[in-house]
Amino acid sequence: MTAQVITLEGLVKDYGRFRALDGVDLEVRAGEIFGFIGPNGAGKSTTIRILLDLLRPTAGTVLVLGTDPRAGGPALRARLGYLPGELALDLTATARQLLVHLAQVRGGRGAERIEPLAERFLLDLDRPVRALSKGNRQKVGVIQALMHRPELALLDEPTSGLDPLLQQEFLALVREERDAGMSVFLSSHVLSEIEDVADRVALVRDGRIVIVDDVASLRAAAGQRLDVTFRKDVPLEALAGVEELRIDGLRARGVWHGDPAPLLAVLGRLPIARIELRDRDLEELVLDAYRTELPR
Amino acid sequence: MSLLRDVLVEVRWQLARRARGLVGWAVALAAVAGIYVPFYPVMGGGELQAMIDTMPSELVAALGYDRIGTPAGYLTSTVFGLLAPALLLVFGIGLAARTIAGEEEAGRLELAASAPVRRDVLLAGRIIALHTQIALLAAVTFVVTAGLVVMVGMDVELRAIAVASVGLNLLAIAVATLTLAAGAATGRRAVAVAVGSGVAVAAFVADALSGIVERGELLETISPFSWYLAADPVGGGMPVLGYALLGALTFVAWGVALLWFLPRDLGT
Repeated sequence: MTAQVITLEGLVKDYGRFRALDGVDLEVRAGEIFGFIGPNGAGKSTTIRILLDLLRPTAGTVLVLGTDPRAGGPALRARLGYLPGELALDLTATARQLLVHLAQVRGGRGAERIEPLAERFLLDLDRPVRALSKGNRQKVGVIQALMHRPELALLDEPTSGLDPLLQQEFLALVREERDAGMSVFLSSHVLSEIEDVADRVALVRDGRIVIVDDVASLRAAAGQRLDVTFRKDVPLEALAGVEELRIDGLRARGVWHGDPAPLLAVLGRLPIARIELRDRDLEELVLDAYRTELPR
Repeated sequence: MSLLRDVLVEVRWQLARRARGLVGWAVALAAVAGIYVPFYPVMGGGELQAMIDTMPSELVAALGYDRIGTPAGYLTSTVFGLLAPALLLVFGIGLAARTIAGEEEAGRLELAASAPVRRDVLLAGRIIALHTQIALLAAVTFVVTAGLVVMVGMDVELRAIAVASVGLNLLAIAVATLTLAAGAATGRRAVAVAVGSGVAVAAFVADALSGIVERGELLETISPFSWYLAADPVGGGMPVLGYALLGALTFVAWGVALLWFLPRDLGT
């Protein structure tokens, strides 16, 4: 097994004159759950579809499980699982017929897991796909992506359409499969959906990777949001070190990075009416990253 | 061997999902024969010929009615030269345009093409499924027409009906494969339909005009519709060259589809 399941170097993809990917460098390690975060149109699906050889890159190096997808062909794709971002299923078949067919395309691999996975996700296999809700269709997509125990699962917006309970069930399944040796590359436009499950995340914007880091470091870098209201005027120096400080009468708001103890020590000596110091949403950090032009 | 297996899995999947729609088309094609053939004893023969004789000869030729007085001419003018190819071409063009381009536009090619199957195998499976369905409908046309011809005692050889049905099949397969190729090359269903129906209509018009314009042989040479009917298969002709050309057109279209479908981006 290679140390990296995905290696991208200087990946560029143009659609005519539009540059969808503008030099993406990325490494996904074996056995990790890697989150790929970005707004719609940032290039997430384009990247995943290049990994599957549905799209051909304009420039750059792509290695999936150590092989160029173009050269790897069906033998490589046999080792992958894929959940499309905009899942479109054959409407005329029943969920069971479709899943059995997709297992057959893989030489029968995964057929024995259709029943148990359908039970786990409360999916009625004998209803025609046409009659299934968006959430139920997404379950079909999840099952076909994971039933054959791929070495690497490429999941494009996997939680979309699933209600919160099923999202949890899905993430639990992904964790189990990871513990059994699967590597996972999953995308989302909201970090909060996958921050609990992802080991590392990359933020992508306009076809470029903005940040790659593990979730714990991201959370540390995100800092904490301070919201304090005083009983009377206090000297501004007390709030030294607070970033993005906004004063609104007796109320002060801002962002604090690092150990909060010194800040609390200073504030503790002041007349405080109320105080809140909480972790910033990683979402806010993502927005920071999108707002600022970070050095590459 | 596993390539063959992959092709068969795809063919079976395509056919299984289309079974119901196919029955409707089979009924329609059977109805075409069922409407015209039984009326030959009533309509056909001398009286019809007398009426045709009063029409301008160019019009008669363009409509293909020049030999409507004979049993084979009647069968050609109604079933094999007009409604059966029209229906079968509409069926073939519609299905062919959906098979790759339509599926791709709907996003349904995504799972099929990301599965561990080669693109040329996927294409082969879908083309063979398309050909199979057209062949089944052509076979229905043959069986119903032949049965009715025997029942009403029309003087047309069954062998000739079989030859004409094979030609009908080859024509529809050629145009449908061309349609599929245009869709596979571009990923656009509308382009596929335009190419398919454009070729079909042009072929029909060229064939119709070939009998009434000067240098009509040239039109006959290039029209796939003429390749099918000019040698008068229903009347006992054996259009070896024409049928070979239809077969060749099919394989060229298949090759074009491969050439464009294999290297391009899917679903963009």
